Amino acid sequence: MRLIIREDSTTVGDYIANYMCKRINEFEPTPQRPFVLGLPTGSSPIPTYKALIALVKEKKLSFKNVVTFNMDEYVGLPRDHPESYHTFMFREFFSHIDIPPSQVNILDGNAEDLIAECKTYETRIKEYGGIELFLGGIGEDGHIAFNEPGSSLASRTRIKTLAYDTILANARFFNNDISAVPRMALTVGVATVLDSREVVVVVTGQRKALALSKAIEDGVNHLWTLSALQLHPWALIVVDEDATADRPLLAELHVKTVKYFKSIERVQDEVERTQALLKARGRIAEKQVGSLE
Amino acid sequence: MTSANGLICFTNCLLPQEDGSLVEKDLWVDEQRGIILDAQKTFYVNKERPARIIDLGGNILSPGLIDMQINGGYGFDFSVYENDDEAYQRGIQMVAERIVETGVTSLLPTVITQEKSIYPKLLGLLKPFSTPTSATFLGWHAEGPFIELTKRGAHAPGYLLPATDGFKAFEEVYGAVNLTEGEDWTMSGDSNPAVRMITAAPEVPGVMNALEESVKRGIIFSIGHSVASTEVATSAIQHGARLITHLFNAMPQLHHRDPSIIGLLGASPHLASPIPISVHLPCNLSEMLPLELPGVASPVSELSSPSPNRKDLSLSGINTPKTPSKHQSRPSLHLEKGQIADMSFERPFYGIIVDGIHCHPNSVRLAYSSHPDGCILITDAMKILDPHLKDGTHEWRDGKRFMKEGERLYLEGTTTLAGSVVTLDKCVRNFSMFTGCSLGEAIKCATYNPAKCLGIETKKGTLRPQAHADFTVFDRQGVVLATWVRGKEVWTRSV
Repeated sequence: MRLIIREDSTTVGDYIANYMCKRINEFEPTPQRPFVLGLPTGSSPIPTYKALIALVKEKKLSFKNVVTFNMDEYVGLPRDHPESYHTFMFREFFSHIDIPPSQVNILDGNAEDLIAECKTYETRIKEYGGIELFLGGIGEDGHIAFNEPGSSLASRTRIKTLAYDTILANARFFNNDISAVPRMALTVGVATVLDSREVVVVVTGQRKALALSKAIEDGVNHLWTLSALQLHPWALIVVDEDATADRPLLAELHVKTVKYFKSIERVQDEVERTQALLKARGRIAEKQVGSLE
Repeated sequence: MTSANGLICFTNCLLPQEDGSLVEKDLWVDEQRGIILDAQKTFYVNKERPARIIDLGGNILSPGLIDMQINGGYGFDFSVYENDDEAYQRGIQMVAERIVETGVTSLLPTVITQEKSIYPKLLGLLKPFSTPTSATFLGWHAEGPFIELTKRGAHAPGYLLPATDGFKAFEEVYGAVNLTEGEDWTMSGDSNPAVRMITAAPEVPGVMNALEESVKRGIIFSIGHSVASTEVATSAIQHGARLITHLFNAMPQLHHRDPSIIGLLGASPHLASPIPISVHLPCNLSEMLPLELPGVASPVSELSSPSPNRKDLSLSGINTPKTPSKHQSRPSLHLEKGQIADMSFERPFYGIIVDGIHCHPNSVRLAYSSHPDGCILITDAMKILDPHLKDGTHEWRDGKRFMKEGERLYLEGTTTLAGSVVTLDKCVRNFSMFTGCSLGEAIKCATYNPAKCLGIETKKGTLRPQAHADFTVFDRQGVVLATWVRGKEVWTRSV
């Protein structure tokens, strides 16, 4: 696992967007062999989406041959409800880029047979050959997608009851009316995320500090589902330093953890430069799979 | 240039919202059907996204402007009919085609007081109408003949009438077929909204009785060219009148003890049902009129017109509550800041001519501050409206002539204002300057507010999905750059 530390949420977004741009362009996707991308909702990824949109407008990146799968969606919320994840994705991302609508996949929380909807979703991902890169965010309790504390780390796409804390946290989007917050969601499972070739997680803001520490400094634990990332061969977490906050995001981390990850970022850069040179000279036949650390 | 899949995305633009704000957002349009799309639905359900993207460079994509009081333009007078239907129809088509250069995409033609036999024919010719490249004629607005003699303005005094038989008098003058219920009168299969409006003075005998039946038939009733007292004006609103015609003009000026028609903008919840004026006003109102307002330099002769003798105002036949009650006002005081106690009726919309001549900027701001949601910008423009026309004397009608001085327009040899020659886009800019409101709020007064007043806000004056794709593109200083009608660009400013 790699941890990248940037100054604030904007520079975190820029870093991830540039990284994804590089990955997609190096993949050289075609209609027959599209780049399959997993996407999150929430406030953390918004700077990343903004930076990706800018790259598309500058013609440095295109989503014409990208297929997306979103992580989750509320159950029973109309698709055009202002708080649905369909609405979020359209408003914050899809409407501004060049992705063909037929290549966008979001779980249907209004499907008659919710279990069948979840199964079909997994099948569709497999038909595309799996997800190449899954971008994720986390909740304050360390949940990835709607895999709340206690979720099986082997879980697949399924119906999930929301934790009461999550309902409380989301009430602000529903006029502070707790009864209006959906009680259930459809979500990809922890194993669905772990199945993807690469996982990139954005963690910003001081309120996520404890979750970050639990996920990377303690052991694998279903109470902090992000910690399952420790089992993934190619995972990247990008966080902000938020130096001005009273309790920065990194406050929960040990000094040596921060120092270690900062040091390997330099090594990683060096290795990547060498690899790029070798590739340019035609010396690398195989595509890289896994972090270079 | 058309789009490969018939869909257009406007991007990098500010969209005026129905609350007067400007929001940076894309807008998706179906150019074939000429309507605004629900972008998200188009994307997720129809699995389509626009093939053509138009970058508006940060400019404003407004709903097309609506002028709901206009007498003519480009040399054609909506009130002149010379026994030639085709010539008349050519005339309105010409105006509809040319007026888009002022950002107007919908207009309600005004027919001013006529010899009564002309009405049935003339109103019959003014069915909703548009061509693929023109603004939409929404129907008609009959201003007169049931108006107050002393507030007639430029209307011909010999043609004014009382409505002694109530609605029957309306039918007799305007033609029963033109006042039928519902939308049957349009007899058109197209999707244009249909509007009929009558301006009359509620104190004219019989008008108050005709009002209710008109409203029941979907005709909009506007108070204008009137000397109605506060009591009568309030009663007209309670009977269904929803508009005031060219506020401040052709009506008594604001008197603090009898605020009359203008006072409706400040209608008090305490007096939601009017109290007999005599109880609270021991003074003799007729002694205090006319009102000369020092400081309001205006050559409007109406201001100095002979004061009406209030005792002569016939209230007979006016259906006013005999024992007014205040039971709809809150019985007790309340403690919620920002809350206004319940009103038993909605305050009316009001048209206001924002040429800087018909109303002083202070008056414009005063009206807007007291009732922003009712404010509607109108031009009241005459047939010589034409942004390209020079100053001087111009023919009008019945041998009368106009004197045009910049944006001032007088009956030749008098100081009587005879409508205006201001364009609606200029009114928007003026309004923003006069009131200090944002351009988005000014645009609302020339788009959403008139549409709401006319009951056509699902089709016109809005950027809601399914509304007509009529647009005015403004730069950030309110200058019209382009006009779109039903999904097609019909005018662009040449550089």
